[in-house]
Amino acid sequence: MFLSTEHQQVADMTRRFADQVIRPEAERLDREEAFAGEIYQQMAQNGLFGITVPEAYGGAGLDCLAYSIVMEELSRGYASVADQCGLVELFGTMLCKYGTEAQKAQWIGPLIRAELRGAYCITEAGAGSDVSGIKTTATKDGGGWKLTGSKLWIHNAPVADVAFVLARTDPQAGKRGMSIFIVDCNKAGVTRGPKEHKLGQRSSQVGELNFDNVAVPADGLLGVEGRGFHMMMSVLEKGRVGIGALAVGIIQAALEASIAQAKLRQQFGHAIAEFQAIQFLLADMAKDAEAARLLVRSAAMKMDAGLDAAMAASMAKCFAGDAAVAQASNAVQIFGGSGFIRGYEVERLYRDAKITQIYEGTNQIQRVIIARKLLE
Amino acid sequence: MKILVPVKRVVDYNVKVRVKTDGSDVDIASAKMSMNPFDEIAIEEAVRLKEAGVASEVIAVSAGVAACQDTLRTALALGADRAILIETEVEMQPLSVAKLLAAICAKELPQLVLCGKQAIDDDASQTGQMLAALMHWPQATFASKVAVGEGARQALVTREVDGGQETVDVLLPAVVTTDLRLNEPRYATLPNIMKAKRKQLDRVTPDELGVDITPRLKTLKVAEPPKRAAGVKVADVAELVEKLKSAGVIA
Ligand SMILES: Cc1cc2nc3c(=O)[nH]c(=O)nc-3n(C[C@H](O)[C@H](O)[C@H](O)COP(=O)(O)OP(=O)(O)OC[C@H]3O[C@@H](n4cnc5c(N)ncnc54)[C@H](O)[C@@H]3O)c2cc1C
Repeated sequence: MFLSTEHQQVADMTRRFADQVIRPEAERLDREEAFAGEIYQQMAQNGLFGITVPEAYGGAGLDCLAYSIVMEELSRGYASVADQCGLVELFGTMLCKYGTEAQKAQWIGPLIRAELRGAYCITEAGAGSDVSGIKTTATKDGGGWKLTGSKLWIHNAPVADVAFVLARTDPQAGKRGMSIFIVDCNKAGVTRGPKEHKLGQRSSQVGELNFDNVAVPADGLLGVEGRGFHMMMSVLEKGRVGIGALAVGIIQAALEASIAQAKLRQQFGHAIAEFQAIQFLLADMAKDAEAARLLVRSAAMKMDAGLDAAMAASMAKCFAGDAAVAQASNAVQIFGGSGFIRGYEVERLYRDAKITQIYEGTNQIQRVIIARKLLE
Repeated sequence: MKILVPVKRVVDYNVKVRVKTDGSDVDIASAKMSMNPFDEIAIEEAVRLKEAGVASEVIAVSAGVAACQDTLRTALALGADRAILIETEVEMQPLSVAKLLAAICAKELPQLVLCGKQAIDDDASQTGQMLAALMHWPQATFASKVAVGEGARQALVTREVDGGQETVDVLLPAVVTTDLRLNEPRYATLPNIMKAKRKQLDRVTPDELGVDITPRLKTLKVAEPPKRAAGVKVADVAELVEKLKSAGVIA
């Protein structure tokens, strides 16, 4: 796709950063399940967090298209690292949209500068795709709130300083009875479960975050009481564009690795790239990468134009995630046995791809959204 | 002190160029273009001198087609204060570029011109030297260290030479060309890419500068380097010596 000078600069800069700083570390981070703290510091120094956050709040002040470009290029380096960028983007977007000036001043800067680590807490044991099933509850207590509940599979939970928590504030009001709280994770009553050991994106620290009668001051409430569900959902479009772009980055990395391997690997006296069976796999990989990229960028540009992007974002996330899983698998096929061995990039890409069909709304849920739009 | 940094738009260093079928030139029609890496080092050095309070202004200048403004925007994102595009469709040769830069120097009166030691497309390594000659300024080429003296009247420049390193003391204004080891360029941060959009970029033409840029050189033929023949693996040193002997490389 033809990009403006500024978007091309963003792409070039991020690609270079990913090649020099992220990609060389990906194998180790995956093997050790290590938090990429030093990389996040460097990303912060180079303005790679808070892409769409206005400059006045310390962000880069770019548009959603630029955000999708950054996510793709970071993920081409390592998807786990891109995921952190996506997470910070959600906090920034949420705070800019719904925060008071005091909340913005307190949280946006430190999160963008990677001085604080945030966690985005929706999922519970009984509430995955069906967010309305959450049981975490906040009750009024003097001027503030008391928060109790347990959140599951929360990115950054083992290392978080601050949590954005969706909780019930009016048990009778269903979706209209939920609110979002900004919770200091060092407060009494906040406990963490152990870090989960995952199939892929193993550098992302994911675990349980428990709240037992945690005191939250009045200014810990984000936005309007009772509008939490709506607020969480309102930033999901950007989240889905981000995960779609992350999936594109995985396909792109798989494609590049596959081309190099196909030229290098000799069998029957020929480079395997000379076999049409391999060429067709490469061609399919390239066209899926491009199709997914265009869906993602089209959704991003709709958001930038202020249009309804719900269906476009769901299509982009769903297509890109499915394509990433299929094409990472094809990349393993091109590598043959090597592709199944730890230490080869495509082996990791294959594992990293799977979660893109699950988080930020499963791909079944994306299809539900698309179909609902079609039939309304 | 003003620093002028010429930057060239070249084929990205990752691109494998191919020769056009008629042998007239390399085919860059759809190739990705970037700033010449040595010029990035020059920008970085200039920006560091500004950050250190030695320089007051860094001006990036590029000569060539309209798309060179992308290269200038990158220079601005890396920290240059303003940019000048000398716009022309005419094929640029080192002497033309040096004359254009001399015209800019006469207007802007920089104390220092920092440019790449060569461009990675034609590897001529002539422009900086020609500019110094045209301006009757001292030159210090292939710099790996630049230390500007008190009051910006002279500079100590360490040069990468065959035998090792040589340090020269040049009076300013001067032309310094940058070698790889001078510094490691920073990334254009995202906020700075945004800020670069708002920085001043002026356009002039060679005509307006009164410079004749008619090409003086004619390219006769461009050819790919000969393909390297496949090598052979030897089992041990004895076999290697044997092979070298039979190839007549050693006696
Ligand atoms: C690595 C990782 C990181 C995560 N990070 C976070 C985080 O930071 N914050 C957070 O809040 N959550 C996070 N999650 C949770 C994630 O968002 C959920 O796993 C996801 O929403 C799916 O919920 P579930 O796992 O409960 O699956 P379920 O909802 O139980 O779904 C099981 C299956 O049923 C299908 N299904 C469910 N409902 C329907 C339907 N109506 N129609 C058709 N099919 C349906 C699903 O598609 C799926 O295939 C993370 C999860 C993982 C694994």
